[in-house]
Amino acid sequence: MFEQPSNSILAILPALIPLTGAAVAMLLRRHPYAQAAWAFGAMATACAVSAWLLWQVAEAGQPLVLQLGAWPAPFGITFVADPLSSTFAFMAQLVFVFGFLYALGAKDKAVHHDTFYPLFLTLAAGLSGALLTGDIFNLFVMIELVVISGAVLTSISDDRYGPEAAFKYFLISTLASFCLLFGIGSLYVSYGTLNMADLAQRIAADPNRPLLAAAVVFLAITFMIKSAAVPFHFWQPDFHTASPTPVSAMLSSVVVKIGVYGFLRLTTLLVPQFDWLNGALIVSGIAGVVFGGLGAIGTHNAKRMFAYSTLAQIGFIYVGIGWGAALSIAAAVLFTFNHALIKSAMLMLSGYLASRAPIKTAAFSVVRGVGKYAPLGGVLFLLGGMALAGMPPTNGFISKLMLFQSGVLAVQAGEMAASLGVWLPLALIGFSSILTFVYVFRALMVIWWEPFQPKSPEEKVKPRGDSLLAPAGLILLCLVLGLWAQPLADWSQHVSGWIGAPANYTRAVLLPEQSTLK
Amino acid sequence: MDLLRAIAIGVLFGIALYQLLRRNVIRIAIGLVILSNAVNLFLLSVGAYNGVVEAYAKAVGQRSDALPQALILTAIVISMGGFSMMLALLYVIASRYRTGDSDEVRGLSH
Repeated sequence: MFEQPSNSILAILPALIPLTGAAVAMLLRRHPYAQAAWAFGAMATACAVSAWLLWQVAEAGQPLVLQLGAWPAPFGITFVADPLSSTFAFMAQLVFVFGFLYALGAKDKAVHHDTFYPLFLTLAAGLSGALLTGDIFNLFVMIELVVISGAVLTSISDDRYGPEAAFKYFLISTLASFCLLFGIGSLYVSYGTLNMADLAQRIAADPNRPLLAAAVVFLAITFMIKSAAVPFHFWQPDFHTASPTPVSAMLSSVVVKIGVYGFLRLTTLLVPQFDWLNGALIVSGIAGVVFGGLGAIGTHNAKRMFAYSTLAQIGFIYVGIGWGAALSIAAAVLFTFNHALIKSAMLMLSGYLASRAPIKTAAFSVVRGVGKYAPLGGVLFLLGGMALAGMPPTNGFISKLMLFQSGVLAVQAGEMAASLGVWLPLALIGFSSILTFVYVFRALMVIWWEPFQPKSPEEKVKPRGDSLLAPAGLILLCLVLGLWAQPLADWSQHVSGWIGAPANYTRAVLLPEQSTLK
Repeated sequence: MDLLRAIAIGVLFGIALYQLLRRNVIRIAIGLVILSNAVNLFLLSVGAYNGVVEAYAKAVGQRSDALPQALILTAIVISMGGFSMMLALLYVIASRYRTGDSDEVRGLSH
């Protein structure tokens, strides 16, 4: 059986390295090149460490746990790298490395701001910390770090509406944080602990405390706002359109996954007995798929289009979590990983087009015909669009296939009743792919097929734009993961099996004599 | 005392939500400050319900719980940082849009 694993500093390093890197990068603010090189080096190191962490967790077959200050679990702050959190942390850091790569080659004025790289590093640190922490109050602190860095990064955007978007985002996110604090307070007054493992155990022992349902509703609202799920999505397209390209690529791909992670923990670890939560997730997911797809068709800006498309993709992930069968949770994890790669690449490509356009914006009226001068960008856009719609041989196809299969198999095996909540999402997978084709290929035609029509003779396509290295790398990863999908699919099934048994988690975190959850 | 605290939390919440729904952006910021105080008071009452003796006093008896106070302290520090950033943002918005009416700060919605 499992024994208490030794303290491993590795569990906190993915958050600690960017945080320390940010402090040093702040000192280097008078030396822009040194600062950029240092920040990229810190991020690459952090990514390598989280890959090593993931490998260690996979090798050992049990989580690496760090009890800060050697205080045993329910009393101190715990960092837990179990298969789920280490996979998510690796995904976040991998995409962040490409984000830094894009920022290094970007022509934006924002990336030359002397606080850009430090804030970008704290964004990565807050995200990794929120994913790896095993303490629910620490989760709040890390989420606040993400919110404040994200808002400042957006307010220094080249887009003149940056401060407005940052204000909206900050207002909504602060409300979400207060909801989270309320949930934390309600949980604490009911169960007297903040440690997630201890909390899971105490909730399982006594699930009838009056404030539990209220706490779960508050937490669910927080996570829905964080991942911009319907009906809490209204701030997201504005915010993701106005932020600088490297930042919006991160926000729309990995930062929204905090909510996905939170729901995976809620439905498997903390309150697996609350079936209504799964129902709410399915309803929100279906609404997100329909609304996101239709909203993306109605936009006039490439960045905004992909921001709406995130709503639809998050909807599919929620449906997978809401179904709750082992395979569908595995599909949700796989979908999360693949969507992070695809969406960041597509937003970087839109930013690239905006950097080539006469005026720096991704509005279709401005970038019309710009693609004629960017053939490589067109190939990448086509491949990324295929991945977004779920066409083979890309990884988007694998994630949609697995989600579809999990729904069908769960009904056949009798795990789920063949109700509307199953058949409607299955049909929507096809419907959403058609919608995705419509909006991606409309963008492709407008940008690459139509001739460039300058409004005045001095309007010209800029000869050089942002570097295409980062999106090319991400699209390459999408293709590799589409053609060689077995390892990731196997791993996500392992993750799903692991989080399906919450006793694994509590046993690893708590001391043996405190662990009572069977 | 419990009733008084509950009423205080409720009143603060009411004021905060009312201010959040006003159109002036400064009022919205003030609403957020009041909301954060309502939440902090809630966190205080979470731990204070069985507190009779101070947490670290040498007296015997039912000790009060010191953890919620640590949580409140953290929350206060974080919200202070957040609000100072928000005020800076409002300054930029007010000078760029020449208005404090949130209905006119809508460059992104079209």
